[in-house]
Amino acid sequence: MDMINPTVVDLSRFQFALTALYHFMFVPLTLGLTFMLAAMETVYVVTGRKIYKDMVLFWGKLFGINFALGVATGITMEFEFGTNWSMYSRFFGDMFGTPLAIEGLMAFFMESTFVGLMFFGWDRLSKQAHLAVTYLVALGSNLSALWILIANAGMNVPHGAHFDPDTMRLQFDSFVKLIFSPDAQAKFVHTSVAGYVSAALLVMGVSAFYLLRGQHRQFAARSFRMAALFGIISTVAVITLGDVLGREDYMEQPTKIAAIEGLWHTSKPPYEPWILAALPDDAKQENHFEIGVPFVLTPLITHDFNTPIRGMHELEDAAAPRIESGIAAVSALRRYQETHQQADLDAFKAHEADLGFGFLATRHAPNQDVTAIPADALQSVVEQTKPDILPNVFVTFWSFRIMVFLALYFFALFAISAYLSLKNKLERNKLILKACMWSIPLPILATEFGWITAEAGRQPWTVFNTLPTFLSASTHSTSYMVFSLAGFALLYSIFIAAELYLMFKFARLGPEAHDAPHSDDAYAAHCAVVGTPHASGH
Amino acid sequence: MQLLRLAGLAAVLVVSLLFAVFVGDQGPWYFAWVIGTIMIILISGAGAILLDAQQDGKIGSSSDQEV
Repeated sequence: MDMINPTVVDLSRFQFALTALYHFMFVPLTLGLTFMLAAMETVYVVTGRKIYKDMVLFWGKLFGINFALGVATGITMEFEFGTNWSMYSRFFGDMFGTPLAIEGLMAFFMESTFVGLMFFGWDRLSKQAHLAVTYLVALGSNLSALWILIANAGMNVPHGAHFDPDTMRLQFDSFVKLIFSPDAQAKFVHTSVAGYVSAALLVMGVSAFYLLRGQHRQFAARSFRMAALFGIISTVAVITLGDVLGREDYMEQPTKIAAIEGLWHTSKPPYEPWILAALPDDAKQENHFEIGVPFVLTPLITHDFNTPIRGMHELEDAAAPRIESGIAAVSALRRYQETHQQADLDAFKAHEADLGFGFLATRHAPNQDVTAIPADALQSVVEQTKPDILPNVFVTFWSFRIMVFLALYFFALFAISAYLSLKNKLERNKLILKACMWSIPLPILATEFGWITAEAGRQPWTVFNTLPTFLSASTHSTSYMVFSLAGFALLYSIFIAAELYLMFKFARLGPEAHDAPHSDDAYAAHCAVVGTPHASGH
Repeated sequence: MQLLRLAGLAAVLVVSLLFAVFVGDQGPWYFAWVIGTIMIILISGAGAILLDAQQDGKIGSSSDQEV
């Protein structure tokens, strides 16, 4: 067996984090904009007012730019599993590969096929058929996210799988269990609706830009109104569904929840405060200062007032017997691989549930071989492995808080914006319009921090309690990893620059850049021709 | 023809009910997502139509209405 090179593992992690975070800048907008386009087109089909078609065309153009670059950044990630995470792919390929394949074959192809019809089918399809196409694009993009998040949920809680000691892989027992696992459900709905918030704020922010300049007022007012209502309900939903996801983590991943809350010691209900801000010190395993709100943590996490939440010190202590049992599992598995005797298989089965903890002890074993640990060194290896079960507390704690604080800000912004829009008082409140405009990137930032919370909080595992991250990476050289990392960083930065340039360019050009006329005056002329009332009252 | 249409609509209704019962039972959050997304789209669309109605009701009162 090749020795683990921690530098290569760290570079592999950094490279994946970088590519995933780049890709995730595009994904939420795609998820949300497609349904916003569907909403706008629904109004167009119902009312017959051309301004709503113009809205679909304009916002569809911004969606198209985002979609193209999102696809480009996403494809490389699927290859990365094979190149940089070959051990993980081999161990978890059955579970992970199946949803990814379905995503590619069903959802992504569905989305890509209908995107073409959506953009070029205006003159070839009836209104109703085109509307159906737009809904299929929206459904396809969200189904893509569904399969990716089902795969990710398998990494967090491998429902419907068992370890096969003959193939040395996790194998499926039930695909249905994986699809309908509570973690997959909660992850999908939370992530999808977070995309709605991102799209709503983009539409609201660009519309605010037009209203501040007094341009395309009728177009902007309708876009703003729809986005504000779309956004306020989505923000309420994303906060509620975040609580659902948090509860799933509390049930299945206690180390993640303890790290998110900076909880080193088991909580004392009902007083235990929810920590608003602190400086967690991973090395000393303590918080340097804390500002908290008493009586909030217990009901927030457990949904009652009496249940204590296990702290990280207690979770470390609870892991000690599992590490010892895991070492026995790895030793028995090694013997079974050599002998294929029933007695060795039985010995393995007795400790199978703790196999991952045995893998986790590899780093501290002599020559990284847990079967070679002398009996008198066993406790020392267990003690050294115990802190490894915890994620990076500082990163997990703060990424969660930034996400939550931003979500609360969005709630306030959408609520005020929706109120002002419904009262037709938007243009009087330039401060709110400016806040909307400058807040466009914030939901992207919030989703990125949400993703960091989920992934950093799962560490040190790629498959929770089963496969450690350091055993999942390929055995590349450091120079290969540095070279490929630099290449990805350069290429993806070009993608981001291209996206920003095109988005700014087309947003500044505004809806008049389309072939069809749709300025306020043109809209009035159109209304006069088709006999519908002109909204601006000309 | 009308009977055929009625049968088609009835079939859609039955499939929707079966979908609601199965997904509502097996995947309540998936079901919530379907219902919630439809609701978000309808409320957002209703907001736009309300704006049209608000402005249509004020035709002639001002050529440069505040939005």
